[in-house]
Amino acid sequence: MRWATLGRGRFYFFLLMLPAVLYVVAWRIAPALYTILLSFTQYNIVYDSGPTWNHLQNYGRLLHDSGLLESLRISVMFTGAATAVELLVGLGVGAFFDSDPPARNLLLGIFLLPMIMAPVVVGTIWAILFDPTIGPIPYLIQVLHGPRVEWLGSSVLALGGLVVADAWEWSPLLALLLFSAMQTIPREQYEAARVDGSSGWQLFWRVVLPQVRGMVIVAAGLRFMDALLELDKVIVMTGGGPGASTGFVSYYVYRQAFQAYELGYASTVITGLLVLLAVVYGLYLRNSSRMLRSANV
Amino acid sequence: MSEVGSDAVSSGGRGRVAHVGRKTRWGHVLGTVFVLAWTLPPFLYLILLSVKPEPLMVERSVLIFWPTFERYRDVVISNFGAPIWTSLVTSTTGALFTLILASLAGVTFSFLDFRGKAALFLLILLPRMFPPVTTLIPIQLTMKTLGLLDTRTALIILFTGFQIPLAIWVMRTFFDEIPRELVESAALDGASLPTIVTRVVLPLAGPGLLTAFILSFIFNWNEFLFPLVVTGLNAKTGSVVLMSFDTGYKKLQYGSLAVLGVVMTVPVILFVLSFRAALVRGLTAGALKS
Repeated sequence: MRWATLGRGRFYFFLLMLPAVLYVVAWRIAPALYTILLSFTQYNIVYDSGPTWNHLQNYGRLLHDSGLLESLRISVMFTGAATAVELLVGLGVGAFFDSDPPARNLLLGIFLLPMIMAPVVVGTIWAILFDPTIGPIPYLIQVLHGPRVEWLGSSVLALGGLVVADAWEWSPLLALLLFSAMQTIPREQYEAARVDGSSGWQLFWRVVLPQVRGMVIVAAGLRFMDALLELDKVIVMTGGGPGASTGFVSYYVYRQAFQAYELGYASTVITGLLVLLAVVYGLYLRNSSRMLRSANV
Repeated sequence: MSEVGSDAVSSGGRGRVAHVGRKTRWGHVLGTVFVLAWTLPPFLYLILLSVKPEPLMVERSVLIFWPTFERYRDVVISNFGAPIWTSLVTSTTGALFTLILASLAGVTFSFLDFRGKAALFLLILLPRMFPPVTTLIPIQLTMKTLGLLDTRTALIILFTGFQIPLAIWVMRTFFDEIPRELVESAALDGASLPTIVTRVVLPLAGPGLLTAFILSFIFNWNEFLFPLVVTGLNAKTGSVVLMSFDTGYKKLQYGSLAVLGVVMTVPVILFVLSFRAALVRGLTAGALKS
Protein backbone atom coordinates (compact mmCIF):
# COMPACT_ATOMS: atom_id res chain seq x y z
CA MET A 1 0.00 0.00 0.00
CA ARG A 2 1.19 3.48 -0.72
CA TRP A 3 -0.33 6.19 1.37
CA ALA A 4 -0.29 9.63 -0.08
CA THR A 5 -0.74 10.84 3.47
CA LEU A 6 2.07 8.76 4.88
CA GLY A 7 4.92 11.20 4.44
CA ARG A 8 7.29 10.82 7.35
CA GLY A 9 5.27 7.76 8.46
CA ARG A 10 7.37 5.54 6.24
CA PHE A 11 10.28 6.12 8.56
CA TYR A 12 8.28 5.05 11.61
CA PHE A 13 7.20 1.95 9.76
CA PHE A 14 10.81 0.95 9.25
CA LEU A 15 11.46 1.55 12.93
CA LEU A 16 8.65 -0.87 13.77
CA MET A 17 10.26 -3.57 11.70
CA LEU A 18 13.84 -3.07 12.74
CA PRO A 19 13.93 -4.84 16.14
CA ALA A 20 12.52 -8.09 14.81
CA VAL A 21 14.84 -8.08 11.79
CA LEU A 22 17.91 -7.37 13.90
CA TYR A 23 16.91 -10.00 16.42
CA VAL A 24 16.49 -12.69 13.80
CA VAL A 25 19.77 -11.77 12.17
CA ALA A 26 21.64 -11.79 15.48
CA TRP A 27 20.24 -14.96 17.00
CA ARG A 28 19.26 -17.09 14.02
CA ILE A 29 21.21 -16.11 10.91
CA ALA A 30 24.57 -15.09 12.37
CA PRO A 31 24.95 -18.37 14.33
CA ALA A 32 24.23 -20.38 11.20
CA LEU A 33 26.90 -18.43 9.32
CA TYR A 34 29.31 -18.91 12.21
CA THR A 35 28.72 -22.66 11.99
CA ILE A 36 29.82 -22.55 8.37
CA LEU A 37 32.92 -20.56 9.40
CA LEU A 38 33.73 -23.08 12.16
CA SER A 39 33.55 -25.88 9.61
CA PHE A 40 36.92 -24.72 8.23
CA THR A 41 38.63 -24.84 11.61
CA GLN A 42 40.13 -27.24 14.07
CA TYR A 43 38.32 -26.61 17.32
CA ASN A 44 38.14 -29.15 20.08
CA ILE A 45 36.78 -27.26 23.01
CA VAL A 46 38.80 -29.34 25.49
CA TYR A 47 42.22 -29.20 23.81
CA ASP A 48 42.14 -26.03 21.74
CA SER A 49 41.95 -22.54 23.23
CA GLY A 50 40.19 -21.24 20.15
CA PRO A 51 39.33 -22.25 16.62
CA THR A 52 42.33 -22.42 14.30
CA TRP A 53 42.12 -22.41 10.54
CA ASN A 54 42.88 -25.82 9.08
CA HIS A 55 41.97 -25.23 5.47
CA LEU A 56 39.89 -28.03 4.04
CA GLN A 57 41.11 -30.84 6.27
CA ASN A 58 37.69 -31.31 7.83
CA TYR A 59 36.13 -31.67 4.43
CA GLY A 60 38.69 -34.29 3.48
CA ARG A 61 37.75 -36.18 6.64
CA LEU A 62 34.06 -35.78 5.78
CA LEU A 63 34.50 -37.60 2.48
CA HIS A 64 36.12 -40.61 4.12
CA ASP A 65 33.96 -40.83 7.22
CA SER A 66 32.36 -44.25 7.14
CA GLY A 67 30.53 -43.63 10.42
CA LEU A 68 28.83 -40.63 8.89
CA LEU A 69 27.86 -42.58 5.79
CA GLU A 70 26.36 -45.31 7.94
CA SER A 71 24.37 -42.80 9.99
CA LEU A 72 23.10 -41.18 6.79
CA ARG A 73 21.99 -44.58 5.54
CA ILE A 74 20.07 -45.23 8.77
CA SER A 75 18.50 -41.77 8.66
CA VAL A 76 17.34 -42.21 5.08
CA MET A 77 15.85 -45.62 5.90
CA PHE A 78 13.99 -44.21 8.88
CA THR A 79 12.83 -41.16 6.97
CA GLY A 80 11.58 -43.15 3.99
CA ALA A 81 9.63 -45.59 6.14
CA ALA A 82 8.19 -42.90 8.41
CA THR A 83 7.16 -40.62 5.55
CA ALA A 84 5.47 -43.50 3.72
CA VAL A 85 3.42 -44.54 6.76
CA GLU A 86 2.51 -40.94 7.56
CA LEU A 87 1.40 -40.27 4.01
CA LEU A 88 -0.83 -43.34 4.01
CA VAL A 89 -2.47 -42.52 7.34
CA GLY A 90 -2.66 -38.83 6.44
CA LEU A 91 -4.47 -39.52 3.17
CA GLY A 92 -6.96 -41.85 4.82
CA VAL A 93 -7.70 -39.62 7.79
CA GLY A 94 -7.72 -36.50 5.60
CA ALA A 95 -10.36 -38.10 3.36
CA PHE A 96 -12.32 -39.11 6.45
CA PHE A 97 -12.39 -35.51 7.74
CA ASP A 98 -13.26 -34.29 4.27
CA SER A 99 -16.42 -36.39 4.34
CA ASP A 100 -17.87 -34.19 7.10
CA PRO A 101 -18.20 -36.70 9.92
CA PRO A 102 -20.19 -35.64 12.99
CA ALA A 103 -18.11 -33.78 15.62
CA ARG A 104 -15.42 -33.24 13.02
CA ASN A 105 -13.74 -30.27 14.68
CA LEU A 106 -13.48 -32.02 18.02
CA LEU A 107 -12.05 -35.15 16.40
CA LEU A 108 -9.60 -33.02 14.44
CA GLY A 109 -8.47 -31.33 17.66
CA ILE A 110 -7.91 -34.70 19.32
CA PHE A 111 -6.12 -36.13 16.31
CA LEU A 112 -3.73 -33.17 16.18
CA LEU A 113 -2.61 -33.56 19.81
CA PRO A 114 0.44 -35.79 19.20
CA MET A 115 2.03 -33.29 16.81
CA ILE A 116 1.50 -30.34 19.16
CA MET A 117 2.73 -31.95 22.35
CA ALA A 118 6.42 -32.01 23.26
CA PRO A 119 8.50 -34.46 21.17
CA VAL A 120 10.20 -35.49 24.42
CA VAL A 121 6.84 -36.57 25.82
CA VAL A 122 6.07 -38.48 22.62
CA GLY A 123 9.40 -40.26 23.01
CA THR A 124 8.69 -40.96 26.68
CA ILE A 125 5.23 -42.36 25.94
CA TRP A 126 6.54 -44.75 23.32
CA ALA A 127 9.54 -45.74 25.43
CA ILE A 128 7.00 -46.70 28.13
CA LEU A 129 4.69 -48.51 25.68
CA PHE A 130 7.59 -50.62 24.38
CA ASP A 131 9.20 -51.17 27.78
CA PRO A 132 9.72 -54.87 28.61
CA THR A 133 8.66 -54.53 32.26
CA ILE A 134 5.82 -52.00 32.22
CA GLY A 135 4.94 -51.67 28.53
CA PRO A 136 1.58 -52.94 27.31
CA ILE A 137 2.84 -53.81 23.82
CA PRO A 138 5.29 -56.58 24.86
CA TYR A 139 2.64 -57.73 27.35
CA LEU A 140 -0.04 -58.03 24.67
CA ILE A 141 2.32 -59.99 22.45
CA GLN A 142 3.08 -62.29 25.36
CA VAL A 143 -0.63 -62.80 26.13
CA LEU A 144 -1.21 -63.68 22.49
CA HIS A 145 1.60 -66.26 22.79
CA GLY A 146 3.82 -64.29 20.48
CA PRO A 147 7.61 -64.27 20.72
CA ARG A 148 9.36 -62.39 23.51
CA VAL A 149 10.93 -59.39 21.89
CA GLU A 150 13.05 -56.56 23.24
CA TRP A 151 11.55 -53.74 21.22
CA LEU A 152 14.03 -50.97 21.77
CA GLY A 153 16.81 -53.43 22.57
CA SER A 154 17.27 -55.04 19.17
CA SER A 155 18.56 -53.17 16.18
CA VAL A 156 15.81 -53.71 13.59
CA LEU A 157 12.95 -53.33 16.05
CA ALA A 158 14.43 -50.20 17.61
CA LEU A 159 14.33 -48.54 14.22
CA GLY A 160 10.79 -49.86 13.77
CA GLY A 161 9.82 -48.49 17.17
CA LEU A 162 11.09 -45.04 16.22
CA VAL A 163 9.14 -45.20 12.96
CA VAL A 164 5.96 -46.07 14.91
CA ALA A 165 6.50 -43.19 17.32
CA ASP A 166 7.25 -40.78 14.49
CA ALA A 167 4.18 -41.90 12.55
CA TRP A 168 2.03 -41.36 15.62
CA GLU A 169 3.43 -37.89 16.08
CA TRP A 170 3.41 -36.62 12.51
CA SER A 171 0.59 -38.35 10.59
CA PRO A 172 -1.70 -35.60 11.96
CA LEU A 173 0.30 -32.93 10.11
CA LEU A 174 -0.11 -34.71 6.79
CA ALA A 175 -3.79 -35.35 7.52
CA LEU A 176 -4.27 -31.65 8.28
CA LEU A 177 -2.54 -30.45 5.11
CA LEU A 178 -4.24 -33.01 2.85
CA PHE A 179 -7.60 -32.31 4.45
CA SER A 180 -7.32 -28.58 3.78
CA ALA A 181 -6.31 -29.33 0.18
CA MET A 182 -9.30 -31.66 -0.22
CA GLN A 183 -11.61 -28.95 1.10
CA THR A 184 -10.79 -26.81 -1.94
CA ILE A 185 -12.17 -29.39 -4.37
CA PRO A 186 -15.56 -28.12 -5.61
CA ARG A 187 -18.30 -30.27 -4.11
CA GLU A 188 -20.17 -30.38 -7.42
CA GLN A 189 -17.49 -32.72 -8.72
CA TYR A 190 -18.35 -35.23 -6.00
CA GLU A 191 -22.01 -35.04 -6.83
CA ALA A 192 -21.39 -35.40 -10.54
CA ALA A 193 -19.29 -38.48 -9.86
CA ARG A 194 -22.03 -39.91 -7.64
CA VAL A 195 -24.67 -39.31 -10.28
CA ASP A 196 -22.46 -41.12 -12.77
CA GLY A 197 -22.57 -44.05 -10.36
CA SER A 198 -18.97 -44.17 -9.21
CA SER A 199 -18.20 -45.79 -5.87
CA GLY A 200 -16.54 -44.02 -2.97
CA TRP A 201 -13.27 -45.76 -3.79
CA GLN A 202 -13.39 -44.64 -7.43
CA LEU A 203 -14.24 -41.15 -6.27
CA PHE A 204 -11.12 -41.09 -4.14
CA TRP A 205 -8.80 -42.43 -6.85
CA ARG A 206 -10.23 -40.57 -9.83
CA VAL A 207 -11.44 -37.29 -8.40
CA VAL A 208 -9.78 -36.55 -5.07
CA LEU A 209 -6.27 -37.94 -5.42
CA PRO A 210 -5.39 -36.27 -8.74
CA GLN A 211 -6.42 -32.90 -7.34
CA VAL A 212 -4.44 -33.14 -4.13
CA ARG A 213 -1.37 -34.60 -5.81
CA GLY A 214 0.45 -31.28 -5.46
CA MET A 215 -0.19 -31.16 -1.74
CA VAL A 216 0.83 -34.81 -1.37
CA ILE A 217 4.24 -33.95 -2.79
CA VAL A 218 4.59 -30.75 -0.76
CA ALA A 219 3.54 -32.38 2.52
CA ALA A 220 5.69 -35.47 2.01
CA GLY A 221 8.63 -33.21 1.13
CA LEU A 222 8.19 -31.18 4.31
CA ARG A 223 8.06 -34.32 6.40
CA PHE A 224 11.01 -35.91 4.62
CA MET A 225 13.27 -32.94 5.30
CA ASP A 226 12.28 -32.77 8.97
CA ALA A 227 12.50 -36.50 9.64
CA LEU A 228 15.95 -36.68 8.08
CA LEU A 229 17.24 -34.61 11.00
CA GLU A 230 15.17 -36.23 13.74
CA LEU A 231 16.94 -35.99 17.07
CA ASP A 232 14.69 -35.55 20.12
CA LYS A 233 13.06 -38.96 20.06
CA VAL A 234 16.38 -40.71 19.41
CA ILE A 235 17.93 -39.16 22.49
CA VAL A 236 14.95 -40.08 24.63
CA MET A 237 14.03 -43.52 23.28
CA THR A 238 17.21 -45.30 22.22
CA GLY A 239 20.22 -43.04 22.72
CA GLY A 240 21.35 -44.10 19.25
CA GLY A 241 21.51 -47.76 20.24
CA PRO A 242 21.53 -50.63 20.52
CA GLY A 243 25.00 -50.47 19.05
CA ALA A 244 24.78 -47.80 16.40
CA SER A 245 21.53 -49.09 14.91
CA THR A 246 19.57 -45.89 15.48
CA GLY A 247 22.49 -43.48 15.26
CA PHE A 248 20.77 -40.99 12.98
CA VAL A 249 22.80 -38.33 11.30
CA SER A 250 21.72 -35.58 13.73
CA TYR A 251 22.68 -37.80 16.60
CA TYR A 252 26.07 -38.28 14.97
CA VAL A 253 26.51 -34.50 14.88
CA TYR A 254 25.28 -34.16 18.45
CA ARG A 255 27.80 -36.72 19.66
CA GLN A 256 30.66 -35.14 17.74
CA ALA A 257 29.85 -31.73 19.17
CA PHE A 258 28.75 -32.37 22.74
CA GLN A 259 30.38 -35.67 23.67
CA ALA A 260 33.60 -35.65 21.63
CA TYR A 261 33.74 -31.82 21.78
CA GLU A 262 34.89 -31.69 18.15
CA LEU A 263 33.10 -28.45 17.36
CA GLY A 264 35.04 -27.84 14.15
CA TYR A 265 34.35 -31.19 12.59
CA ALA A 266 30.74 -31.26 13.81
CA SER A 267 30.23 -27.94 12.04
CA THR A 268 31.66 -29.45 8.88
CA VAL A 269 29.14 -32.29 9.02
CA ILE A 270 26.33 -29.79 9.57
CA THR A 271 27.48 -27.69 6.62
CA GLY A 272 27.62 -30.80 4.45
CA LEU A 273 24.09 -31.67 5.51
CA LEU A 274 22.93 -28.13 4.75
CA VAL A 275 24.32 -28.38 1.24
CA LEU A 276 22.58 -31.72 0.80
CA LEU A 277 19.32 -30.30 2.11
CA ALA A 278 19.64 -27.20 -0.06
CA VAL A 279 19.79 -29.41 -3.15
CA VAL A 280 16.70 -31.33 -2.05
CA TYR A 281 15.07 -28.05 -1.11
CA GLY A 282 15.79 -26.47 -4.47
CA LEU A 283 14.18 -29.39 -6.27
CA TYR A 284 11.29 -29.22 -3.85
CA LEU A 285 10.73 -25.48 -4.24
CA ARG A 286 10.77 -25.75 -8.00
CA ASN A 287 7.98 -28.29 -7.83
CA SER A 288 6.10 -26.99 -4.84
CA SER A 289 5.24 -23.52 -6.10
CA ARG A 290 3.79 -25.03 -9.24
CA MET A 291 2.01 -27.75 -7.28
CA LEU A 292 0.60 -25.33 -4.76
CA ARG A 293 -0.77 -23.14 -7.48
CA SER A 294 -2.42 -26.10 -9.17
CA ALA A 295 -3.77 -27.27 -5.83
CA ASN A 296 -5.17 -23.80 -5.24
CA VAL A 297 -3.68 -23.49 -1.80
CA MET B 1 -3.86 -19.81 1.77
CA SER B 2 -5.24 -18.26 4.90
CA GLU B 3 -8.76 -18.83 3.67
CA VAL B 4 -8.21 -22.54 3.45
CA GLY B 5 -7.57 -22.99 7.14
CA SER B 6 -10.54 -21.02 8.37
CA ASP B 7 -12.74 -22.51 5.70
CA ALA B 8 -11.75 -25.99 6.69
CA VAL B 9 -12.78 -25.31 10.24
CA SER B 10 -15.82 -23.15 10.01
CA SER B 11 -17.75 -24.43 7.03
CA GLY B 12 -20.05 -27.32 7.63
CA GLY B 13 -21.66 -29.74 5.26
CA ARG B 14 -21.96 -27.51 2.20
CA GLY B 15 -24.90 -29.44 0.86
CA ARG B 16 -23.43 -32.86 1.23
CA VAL B 17 -25.52 -33.86 4.21
CA ALA B 18 -28.42 -34.77 1.96
CA HIS B 19 -26.26 -37.36 0.25
CA VAL B 20 -25.06 -39.11 3.36
CA GLY B 21 -26.15 -42.66 2.79
CA ARG B 22 -25.86 -45.70 5.00
CA LYS B 23 -22.48 -46.51 3.50
CA THR B 24 -21.09 -43.10 4.40
CA ARG B 25 -22.39 -43.43 7.92
CA TRP B 26 -20.49 -46.70 8.33
CA GLY B 27 -17.46 -44.95 6.96
CA HIS B 28 -17.89 -42.25 9.56
CA VAL B 29 -18.14 -44.78 12.37
CA LEU B 30 -15.04 -46.61 11.19
CA GLY B 31 -13.13 -43.39 10.70
CA THR B 32 -14.07 -42.09 14.14
CA VAL B 33 -13.04 -45.36 15.76
CA PHE B 34 -9.73 -45.27 13.90
CA VAL B 35 -8.97 -41.68 14.88
CA LEU B 36 -9.75 -42.32 18.56
CA ALA B 37 -7.94 -45.68 18.66
CA TRP B 38 -4.91 -44.10 17.01
CA THR B 39 -4.61 -41.10 19.31
CA LEU B 40 -6.00 -41.92 22.72
CA PRO B 41 -4.58 -45.24 24.04
CA PRO B 42 -1.00 -43.95 24.48
CA PHE B 43 -2.33 -40.93 26.44
CA LEU B 44 -4.62 -43.07 28.55
CA TYR B 45 -1.83 -45.47 29.42
CA LEU B 46 0.40 -42.59 30.48
CA ILE B 47 -2.35 -41.22 32.74
CA LEU B 48 -3.05 -44.70 34.11
CA LEU B 49 0.60 -45.20 34.93
CA SER B 50 0.83 -41.79 36.60
CA VAL B 51 -1.75 -42.76 39.24
CA LYS B 52 -0.88 -46.44 39.57
CA PRO B 53 0.33 -47.38 43.06
CA GLU B 54 3.98 -48.37 43.16
CA PRO B 55 3.47 -52.08 44.12
CA LEU B 56 1.19 -52.63 41.11
CA MET B 57 3.52 -50.90 38.65
CA VAL B 58 4.73 -53.98 36.81
CA GLU B 59 1.38 -55.82 36.98
CA ARG B 60 0.27 -54.91 33.51
CA SER B 61 -3.00 -56.82 33.62
CA VAL B 62 -4.23 -54.66 36.51
CA LEU B 63 -6.22 -51.83 34.97
CA ILE B 64 -8.60 -51.11 37.85
CA PHE B 65 -7.17 -50.00 41.18
CA TRP B 66 -7.45 -47.28 43.77
CA PRO B 67 -5.49 -44.38 42.21
CA THR B 68 -2.72 -42.63 44.08
CA PHE B 69 -2.10 -38.92 43.64
CA GLU B 70 0.95 -38.76 45.85
CA ARG B 71 3.28 -38.33 42.91
CA TYR B 72 1.31 -35.35 41.64
CA ARG B 73 1.62 -33.77 45.08
CA ASP B 74 5.36 -34.50 44.94
CA VAL B 75 5.66 -32.57 41.68
CA VAL B 76 4.37 -29.48 43.39
CA ILE B 77 6.41 -29.67 46.57
CA SER B 78 9.56 -31.51 45.51
CA ASN B 79 12.35 -30.35 43.25
CA PHE B 80 10.37 -31.25 40.10
CA GLY B 81 8.38 -28.12 40.70
CA ALA B 82 11.26 -25.81 39.82
CA PRO B 83 11.87 -27.05 36.24
CA ILE B 84 8.15 -26.91 35.46
CA TRP B 85 8.05 -23.37 36.80
CA THR B 86 11.12 -22.48 34.71
CA SER B 87 9.39 -23.87 31.62
CA LEU B 88 6.27 -21.86 32.37
CA VAL B 89 8.06 -18.58 33.05
CA THR B 90 10.49 -18.74 30.14
CA SER B 91 7.90 -19.96 27.63
CA THR B 92 5.44 -17.22 28.56
CA THR B 93 8.00 -14.42 28.66
CA GLY B 94 9.58 -15.57 25.42
CA ALA B 95 6.19 -15.72 23.70
CA LEU B 96 5.33 -12.21 24.92
CA PHE B 97 8.59 -10.74 23.59
CA THR B 98 8.06 -12.59 20.34
CA LEU B 99 4.58 -11.16 20.10
CA ILE B 100 5.77 -7.58 20.62
CA LEU B 101 8.60 -7.75 18.10
CA ALA B 102 6.72 -9.82 15.54
CA SER B 103 3.47 -7.87 15.62
CA LEU B 104 5.27 -4.59 14.93
CA ALA B 105 7.25 -6.12 12.10
CA GLY B 106 4.13 -7.88 10.83
CA VAL B 107 2.30 -4.55 10.56
CA THR B 108 5.03 -3.13 8.37
CA PHE B 109 5.22 -6.22 6.20
CA SER B 110 1.49 -6.18 5.70
CA PHE B 111 0.83 -2.48 5.21
CA LEU B 112 3.88 -0.94 3.63
CA ASP B 113 5.24 -1.50 0.14
CA PHE B 114 8.90 -0.86 -0.25
CA ARG B 115 11.73 -2.03 -2.41
CA GLY B 116 13.37 -5.21 -1.18
CA LYS B 117 10.36 -6.20 0.92
CA ALA B 118 10.15 -9.69 -0.54
CA ALA B 119 13.87 -10.26 0.05
CA LEU B 120 13.66 -9.01 3.63
CA PHE B 121 10.65 -11.19 4.33
CA LEU B 122 12.52 -14.18 2.95
CA LEU B 123 15.49 -13.32 5.16
CA ILE B 124 13.24 -13.46 8.21
CA LEU B 125 11.67 -16.75 7.16
CA LEU B 126 15.00 -18.29 6.19
CA PRO B 127 15.89 -19.56 9.69
CA ARG B 128 12.74 -21.66 9.71
CA MET B 129 14.38 -23.76 7.02
CA PHE B 130 17.55 -24.33 9.03
CA PRO B 131 17.37 -27.45 11.12
CA PRO B 132 18.00 -26.70 14.81
CA VAL B 133 21.38 -28.46 14.88
CA THR B 134 22.82 -25.82 12.57
CA THR B 135 22.85 -23.15 15.28
CA LEU B 136 23.34 -25.32 18.35
CA ILE B 137 27.13 -24.94 18.60
CA PRO B 138 27.51 -21.15 18.13
CA ILE B 139 24.60 -20.51 20.46
CA GLN B 140 26.15 -22.56 23.23
CA LEU B 141 29.48 -20.76 22.69
CA THR B 142 27.77 -17.35 22.72
CA MET B 143 25.86 -18.09 25.91
CA LYS B 144 29.09 -19.24 27.52
CA THR B 145 30.88 -16.05 26.46
CA LEU B 146 28.04 -13.90 27.79
CA GLY B 147 28.08 -15.85 31.04
CA LEU B 148 24.46 -16.77 30.58
CA LEU B 149 24.79 -20.55 30.61
CA ASP B 150 22.26 -22.16 32.93
CA THR B 151 20.12 -19.07 33.37
CA ARG B 152 16.50 -18.37 32.54
CA THR B 153 17.62 -15.25 30.69
CA ALA B 154 19.41 -17.42 28.13
CA LEU B 155 16.24 -19.42 27.52
CA ILE B 156 14.10 -16.31 27.14
CA ILE B 157 16.56 -14.78 24.66
CA LEU B 158 16.55 -17.96 22.58
CA PHE B 159 12.80 -18.58 22.72
CA THR B 160 12.08 -15.03 21.60
CA GLY B 161 14.23 -15.46 18.51
CA PHE B 162 12.99 -18.93 17.61
CA GLN B 163 9.35 -18.00 17.23
CA ILE B 164 9.64 -14.59 15.53
CA PRO B 165 9.59 -15.99 11.97
CA LEU B 166 6.55 -18.18 12.63
CA ALA B 167 4.74 -15.41 14.50
CA ILE B 168 5.32 -12.88 11.71
CA TRP B 169 4.15 -15.38 9.15
CA VAL B 170 1.00 -16.30 11.06
CA MET B 171 0.13 -12.72 12.00
CA ARG B 172 0.68 -11.41 8.52
CA THR B 173 -2.11 -13.61 7.18
CA PHE B 174 -4.39 -11.96 9.76
CA PHE B 175 -3.14 -8.41 9.08
CA ASP B 176 -3.67 -8.88 5.37
CA GLU B 177 -7.38 -9.32 5.99
CA ILE B 178 -7.86 -5.92 7.63
CA PRO B 179 -9.61 -3.61 5.16
CA ARG B 180 -7.12 -1.04 3.91
CA GLU B 181 -9.84 1.62 3.66
CA LEU B 182 -10.30 1.50 7.40
CA VAL B 183 -6.68 2.33 8.03
CA GLU B 184 -6.51 4.95 5.32
CA SER B 185 -9.58 6.77 6.59
CA ALA B 186 -8.09 6.80 10.07
CA ALA B 187 -4.94 8.31 8.59
CA LEU B 188 -6.98 10.89 6.68
CA ASP B 189 -8.76 11.78 9.91
CA GLY B 190 -5.38 12.78 11.20
CA ALA B 191 -4.58 9.83 13.43
CA SER B 192 -0.85 9.42 13.93
CA LEU B 193 0.87 6.21 13.04
CA PRO B 194 1.30 4.93 16.61
CA THR B 195 -2.40 5.59 17.19
CA ILE B 196 -3.37 3.73 14.03
CA VAL B 197 -1.24 0.75 14.96
CA THR B 198 -2.37 0.51 18.58
CA ARG B 199 -6.01 1.56 18.20
CA VAL B 200 -7.01 0.24 14.78
CA VAL B 201 -4.68 -2.45 13.51
CA LEU B 202 -3.76 -4.47 16.60
CA PRO B 203 -7.31 -4.72 18.04
CA LEU B 204 -8.60 -5.92 14.67
CA ALA B 205 -5.86 -8.54 14.52
CA GLY B 206 -6.69 -9.84 18.00
CA PRO B 207 -7.29 -13.45 16.93
CA GLY B 208 -4.03 -13.37 15.01
CA LEU B 209 -2.12 -12.15 18.07
CA LEU B 210 -3.73 -14.83 20.19
CA THR B 211 -2.90 -17.55 17.68
CA ALA B 212 0.70 -16.40 17.43
CA PHE B 213 1.04 -16.23 21.20
CA ILE B 214 -0.38 -19.70 21.78
CA LEU B 215 1.73 -21.29 19.06
CA SER B 216 4.88 -19.56 20.35
CA PHE B 217 4.13 -20.62 23.91
CA ILE B 218 3.54 -24.24 22.92
CA PHE B 219 6.70 -24.46 20.81
CA ASN B 220 8.75 -22.87 23.60
CA TRP B 221 7.22 -25.23 26.14
CA ASN B 222 8.07 -28.20 23.93
CA GLU B 223 11.60 -27.07 23.07
CA PHE B 224 14.17 -29.57 24.18
CA LEU B 225 17.48 -29.46 22.36
CA PHE B 226 18.48 -25.89 23.21
CA PRO B 227 17.50 -26.05 26.89
CA LEU B 228 19.51 -29.28 27.00
CA VAL B 229 22.73 -27.64 25.81
CA VAL B 230 22.45 -24.20 27.44
CA THR B 231 21.15 -25.18 30.87
CA GLY B 232 22.58 -27.46 33.49
CA LEU B 233 21.30 -27.41 37.01
CA ASN B 234 19.49 -24.21 37.91
CA ALA B 235 17.51 -23.43 34.77
CA LYS B 236 16.57 -26.93 33.67
CA THR B 237 13.23 -27.05 31.90
CA GLY B 238 10.54 -29.69 32.26
CA SER B 239 11.53 -31.39 29.01
CA VAL B 240 15.16 -31.68 30.09
CA VAL B 241 14.19 -33.27 33.41
CA LEU B 242 11.88 -35.65 31.59
CA MET B 243 14.77 -36.69 29.37
CA SER B 244 17.07 -37.30 32.35
CA PHE B 245 14.42 -39.66 33.71
CA ASP B 246 14.19 -41.48 30.39
CA THR B 247 17.87 -42.13 30.04
CA GLY B 248 19.48 -41.72 33.44
CA TYR B 249 19.72 -43.74 36.60
CA LYS B 250 16.21 -42.66 37.61
CA LYS B 251 14.78 -44.72 34.78
CA LEU B 252 13.04 -47.16 37.09
CA GLN B 253 10.82 -44.50 38.65
CA TYR B 254 8.16 -45.06 36.03
CA GLY B 255 5.43 -43.43 38.07
CA SER B 256 7.22 -40.09 38.38
CA LEU B 257 8.18 -40.27 34.73
CA ALA B 258 4.52 -40.66 33.78
CA VAL B 259 3.50 -37.79 36.07
CA LEU B 260 6.03 -35.47 34.44
CA GLY B 261 4.79 -36.57 31.00
CA VAL B 262 1.21 -35.74 31.96
CA VAL B 263 2.17 -32.38 33.49
CA MET B 264 4.12 -31.44 30.36
CA THR B 265 1.09 -32.27 28.21
CA VAL B 266 -1.73 -30.64 30.19
CA PRO B 267 -1.17 -27.03 29.03
CA VAL B 268 -0.93 -28.16 25.43
CA ILE B 269 -4.21 -30.09 25.67
CA LEU B 270 -5.98 -27.16 27.31
CA PHE B 271 -4.82 -24.78 24.58
CA VAL B 272 -5.70 -27.15 21.78
CA LEU B 273 -9.18 -27.88 23.03
CA SER B 274 -10.01 -24.25 23.78
CA PHE B 275 -8.56 -22.62 20.67
CA ARG B 276 -8.94 -25.40 18.14
CA ALA B 277 -10.06 -23.31 15.19
CA ALA B 278 -7.39 -20.64 15.57
CA LEU B 279 -4.65 -23.22 16.06
CA VAL B 280 -5.68 -25.27 13.05
CA ARG B 281 -5.52 -22.16 10.94
CA GLY B 282 -2.17 -21.11 12.39
CA LEU B 283 -0.64 -24.56 12.03
CA THR B 284 -1.79 -24.89 8.44
CA ALA B 285 -0.26 -21.53 7.60
CA GLY B 286 2.83 -22.29 9.64
CA ALA B 287 3.50 -25.64 8.02
CA LEU B 288 3.33 -24.10 4.57
CA LYS B 289 5.80 -21.41 5.54
CA SER B 290 7.73 -21.78 2.34
